[in-house]
Amino acid sequence: MASKLLASNFRQTLTRIATSCQLRPLSTAAATAEAPPPEPYQDPNGISMKGVKILGRPLYLDMQATSPVDPRVLDAMLPFYMSRYGNPHSRTHMYGWESDQAVETARSQVASLVGASPKEIVFTSGATESNNISVKGVMHFYKEKKRHVITTQTEHKCVLDSCRHLQQEGFEITYLPVGSDGLVDLEKLRSAIRPDTGLVSIMAVNNEIGVIQPMEEIGRICKEFNVPFHTDAAQALGKIPIDVGKWNVSLMSLSGHKIYGPKGVGALYMRRRPRIRVEPQMNGGGQERGIRSGTVPTPLVVGMGAACELAKREMEYDEKRITALQERLLNGIKAKLDGVVINGSIERRYAGNLNLSFAYVEGESLLMGLKEVAVSSGSACTSASLEPSYVLRALGVDEDMAHTSIRFGIGRFTTEAEIDRAVELTVQQVEKLREMSPLYEMVKEGINIKDIQWSQH
Amino acid sequence: MASSAAAAAAAASAPTRTEVLALFRSLLRTARRFSDYNIREYAKRRTIDAFRHNQNLSDLSSVSTAYCDGMSQLKIAQRQALVYQLYAPNIKNVMEIKTAPRNH
Repeated sequence: MASKLLASNFRQTLTRIATSCQLRPLSTAAATAEAPPPEPYQDPNGISMKGVKILGRPLYLDMQATSPVDPRVLDAMLPFYMSRYGNPHSRTHMYGWESDQAVETARSQVASLVGASPKEIVFTSGATESNNISVKGVMHFYKEKKRHVITTQTEHKCVLDSCRHLQQEGFEITYLPVGSDGLVDLEKLRSAIRPDTGLVSIMAVNNEIGVIQPMEEIGRICKEFNVPFHTDAAQALGKIPIDVGKWNVSLMSLSGHKIYGPKGVGALYMRRRPRIRVEPQMNGGGQERGIRSGTVPTPLVVGMGAACELAKREMEYDEKRITALQERLLNGIKAKLDGVVINGSIERRYAGNLNLSFAYVEGESLLMGLKEVAVSSGSACTSASLEPSYVLRALGVDEDMAHTSIRFGIGRFTTEAEIDRAVELTVQQVEKLREMSPLYEMVKEGINIKDIQWSQH
Repeated sequence: MASSAAAAAAAASAPTRTEVLALFRSLLRTARRFSDYNIREYAKRRTIDAFRHNQNLSDLSSVSTAYCDGMSQLKIAQRQALVYQLYAPNIKNVMEIKTAPRNH
């Protein structure tokens, strides 16, 4: 059956290629050996992909998943994909020198955005790698004396998973709960610190709900107990002012593709005074002072540097715009719909992230209905599962409301017209789904849904 | 490199009103050439906002710095508008499809 399907699919694709007569880039004989991935079917009225027919490319409101590359960033990167291809670690010729110079310029651009010294920046493949180096690397290095890690329930998957890995090795982890606003309770943090606590890891801006944790206060507590403080600032970089001195962080994870830079590059800030040491994850040529061996990808690093410099220059302008767009989106939706709840603190949040729950609507149906708007129910990593987000559950959001969450991500390139269209489509879709919903009808009649005794199935 | 040096030399003396207006028009014209909806709108908006932000600059050196910066932005925009055109997707953004019927 499966092979039959595959064969028919293959035949269809073949005929499509033949009829559309499109030039396939650098096609080789290997392409005939294995079936090529199904091409999105294109007709003059739109595009059909994964069984969904769309008129055009959807408007993009998923900036927390990733952001488009800024043309100014691409402009900085392109020369390093052409003639300037040297390995930055080659010390014997001009190709190496010019690449090395570009990498060092990028390093100081990243450092200057976060108020660090360039010597404290290590380039990695992304924030996930930086988080892994921080959490596992620090604990492995200090494992003789330190056996305990404090983190929160709303961290990104890669921090939680690194913690679980440490747990299997016998380390103890405290997962701090968060309030209904998504913020960590400082008193709980203070009482969770033990003499053998080796690391506190709390993210600056949450990826799903966008709340900003009280970084300076957490940093002060960590300093008081002399515990290293790690923060995942992937969603904070270039969006809120970061000062590693004020925050008192020992380690900080940064990402390139959340700030209109390229994917596949990130950075790790590692404090020099007082010095924090980690056990490297990758061993090899000793690049990046041995903390992250492997050739530094010059074009990507240059892109990240350019993105950081741009972010520094444009932060104020972007902030003003994004805040106005967020208000426009929220007011537009709230003016036409009832039962809309903002997840997470309203005051302490990054404006570019608006996580809303629509009561009496099934979230997946809403997402399917909003096919012309590229939004997500939560993080991209967990967008394949139908489970409600663990972040929303940690906030104490009811199961039914956690199921209907949608995260609108607004960025540098979002327009007013896009926001208006998103409002229009969301309102339309929610109204349509509510019209079909028996629950909504009952609520309109004054029945409290929470009181209903559902019969067992 | 040579072009930026030339731009710096030209900007050493403050740009004339005609030169500033010419830069403004070139930036807008280049912005319109971006095939990507979002980038095009951003380039237009950012140009207008930057010129509005700087319209009351009177200090000679800051005027020429701003002009010089604008010239380098123009160079980038011209190159990137071309790159974007080379790799433009076949399907337009939904925001550009105005007359298409929407069935819901």
